[in-house]
Amino acid sequence: MKALKIAKSPDDAIKELLSSLFENQKIKGVFSLFYDQDYFYGLVTDKELFNKLTPTAPVMPANGGKMLSRLTMIEPPAVPIAVVLKPCELRAFYELSKLEQANLENLIFISFVCAGVLSLKEIKNNIEEKVANANQKQGLRECCQLCENFVPENADLILPLIDGDNKTTIFIKTERGEELLQGIENNLVEEDFDSAKLSSIKEERSRYREKTWQNLKTENLGIPGLIDIFGRCINCHACGRACPICYCNLCYFDSADNDSGPRVYEAELERRGALRAPSGTIFYHIGRMIHVSLSCVGCGMCSDVCPVSIPVGTIFTRVAEETQRLFNYVPGRNLEEKIPISTFEIKEFEELGEA
Amino acid sequence: MKGKIIKNSDNINTKIREILESLISKQIFDAVFVPVRVPTGESFTYLLIKDKNILKDCIPLPPIMSVQGARAFKDLTRLGKLKYKILCVMRPCEIRAMIELSKLRQVTLEDVSFLSLDCPGVYQTADYIIEPEKYDKSFSSLLEKWEPEGLRPNCRVCNHFSNQEINSDLHIGFYDQSLILVPLTKKGEEIFTSLGFESTDDLADWENRKNELLRRREEIRNKTFTELHNQTNGMEGLENFFKGCINCHNCMRVCPICYCRQCFFESTDQLRRESEDYLIRTEKKGGIRFPVDRMLFHLGRMTHMSLSCVGCGVCEDGCPMDIPVGQIFNFIGDEVQKMFEYLPGRDKDEPIPVLTYKEDELHEYEDAQETK
Amino acid sequence: MEEQEFLPRIIGFLCNWCSYAGADLAGVSRLQMPPTLIPIRVMCSSRVDPLFILTALLRGADAVLVAGCHPGDCHYQYGNYYTRRRIALIKKVFDQLGLETDRLRLAWISASEGGRFRDVVTTFTQHIKEKGPNPIKKEIFL
Repeated sequence: MKALKIAKSPDDAIKELLSSLFENQKIKGVFSLFYDQDYFYGLVTDKELFNKLTPTAPVMPANGGKMLSRLTMIEPPAVPIAVVLKPCELRAFYELSKLEQANLENLIFISFVCAGVLSLKEIKNNIEEKVANANQKQGLRECCQLCENFVPENADLILPLIDGDNKTTIFIKTERGEELLQGIENNLVEEDFDSAKLSSIKEERSRYREKTWQNLKTENLGIPGLIDIFGRCINCHACGRACPICYCNLCYFDSADNDSGPRVYEAELERRGALRAPSGTIFYHIGRMIHVSLSCVGCGMCSDVCPVSIPVGTIFTRVAEETQRLFNYVPGRNLEEKIPISTFEIKEFEELGEA
Repeated sequence: MKGKIIKNSDNINTKIREILESLISKQIFDAVFVPVRVPTGESFTYLLIKDKNILKDCIPLPPIMSVQGARAFKDLTRLGKLKYKILCVMRPCEIRAMIELSKLRQVTLEDVSFLSLDCPGVYQTADYIIEPEKYDKSFSSLLEKWEPEGLRPNCRVCNHFSNQEINSDLHIGFYDQSLILVPLTKKGEEIFTSLGFESTDDLADWENRKNELLRRREEIRNKTFTELHNQTNGMEGLENFFKGCINCHNCMRVCPICYCRQCFFESTDQLRRESEDYLIRTEKKGGIRFPVDRMLFHLGRMTHMSLSCVGCGVCEDGCPMDIPVGQIFNFIGDEVQKMFEYLPGRDKDEPIPVLTYKEDELHEYEDAQETK
Repeated sequence: MEEQEFLPRIIGFLCNWCSYAGADLAGVSRLQMPPTLIPIRVMCSSRVDPLFILTALLRGADAVLVAGCHPGDCHYQYGNYYTRRRIALIKKVFDQLGLETDRLRLAWISASEGGRFRDVVTTFTQHIKEKGPNPIKKEIFL
């Protein structure tokens, strides 16, 4: 694979590359994580503001894929934009494009091997200091510690971020990436990913995942177990709103379709002796699992925004792992792959319909 | 004021529970809407209870407000009244929100009665979930001392923590390990008598303490509001105030007053825009933040609902980033409500100011030039 | 009252073009079967939103039957293949959360298969009888 070496920290290397692309009119803007008093995703077309870029900071204030879909929902941008996203955000963006909520045209994707992001709960007070002193393991999102898809697959340019201080290699993954760098960066080298190091990280993550699943044992939950986990849910639906895959403007569970009239509540009250209010919390969570687990990229935004600290993302990741395996589907892996419930095979699950 | 004092009520929850049980037994009410601890114990939820066996587990005055009672009740009666006579056991701010929601036609108050409780304030839900035992313990001493430390910031400045200007039928106060029962309406009087009580006890001690607390609260309130005013002055102050906001809109989603199914700020108009629109805005400023319009959301929401804001502070509890959003809404709410001499939830026949008008008012906001 | 023999309540989503007619045929042929199925006619088995099934089960139905045309016979060509995927998905989610998957059944019953309709209802009822009532029925913290 062709690669570009820059003797700078990853963030500075990205800034340098983007600046030279911008000066050469290859891109007209940058969509990335920025820092200016706080961390946020932003679209920037003024080169002066490039110095506020912090693409690899371990923070995810919102899923970048979801934010980028807002920009490209109706039409692709008229000018080429370079996009720096974390792998799970990029996968979410691909899923959103399958769901016709995003457009990939005119976007150049840059991504990196992601060491995980800090949980918003950990950093909400004193964000700058916590980010500056971020340690590889401490305070990471549970979902990041469980993540096995931390190597980006679909980006044009990829940074492994494991080179050490002030050395950054940018791998050119696609032809488009190569085209982009033509005439700008000429001293490309031929190099391969340090796959040994990456697979050791992956093994560690897999072990953690295995251990977590062993402790969680969702398959033994049943309704009592679900009530133990989701019992304190306040039905605010923050998890759904933060989820990159939950794109519906008006969620079914907020809609009039989901309203019940007094007769329904009366029947329920007579049968059960009492009625929880807000009602339908377990229904919401199982329903959302059925709706979105196939596309769940495991970014963990849902856990982070939950005001009552329910590990929504962990449960979702577990269920998603199984539902995705059922259809041998990896969300965001490949644009050609259809979301399983939007397609079918003639010969499959034949045992289901039999008497 | 006269009422009934029930002495030696060291466990107020048990005492109130007994009253509720007797109201169900005597069929004065068919069902009670009251908080209950969730099975795992670290939080609470509201239940509408008909079965007396389940009523045994109720905690009428929990140390947190995980869900605003009015928002919880809205779910049940949005499409019409239930066939039961219901007693809602709630904190004053929850009842005030219920009254506001009924003005907005989101709850049905027909056949619904209120039992309000003296509220010493609540702890922040996120804190409580981690160490429920610790907070349970300190909450029981809170009823003695009424110290504001460690409470939800809005509770510390609350000046409607008892039966002040409340649209409730029956009120229960706490003083010196006693329960103070005060009927406030005709309906409340009926409930009161049916329980076999008579308004004969003199409540001066309780009222004096209440007024003393109110005076202390007003002091803190004024100080806090002045600080807030200085802090949020101008766009720069506001930007700084909302620094860290990730625009998840959860403050709106937990707010009892924000009843819209689909908030304007989450509607198609706001979320589905051409990329050209974004690019033009970017070109003008050099860069824009995603999601866009963070400040528009907060200021817009303020204009939408601050007249009805009961200052419960549940928005701040729901904020994953700990933005003091409840405090600024409380402060702005207070200001705009004063403007119309309006107090949300005081009287269910008092219309929300923006839903009515007087011909002769607010001339200071009109163009200074005489038109005649 | 509780001591009475348990008669399950099964919500049946029946495709208008096959299973619903199959049920009709079973009726006019006077085939004997337990009165446990509450039929809901849908225009295609793929009209059944997973949330319909979930609602029925969480509100206390003892079981849900989704019945449609045999593969290849869908009135709308491919609807029932989508149904099959959805049922597979729902069962997987249930399975993973420790919920009972066998309270949900998918059956292909054509308009001419009155006998098969009876068999499906009879065996399903028998199975649910053995399992007992849906435990969710009495749960309050849902």
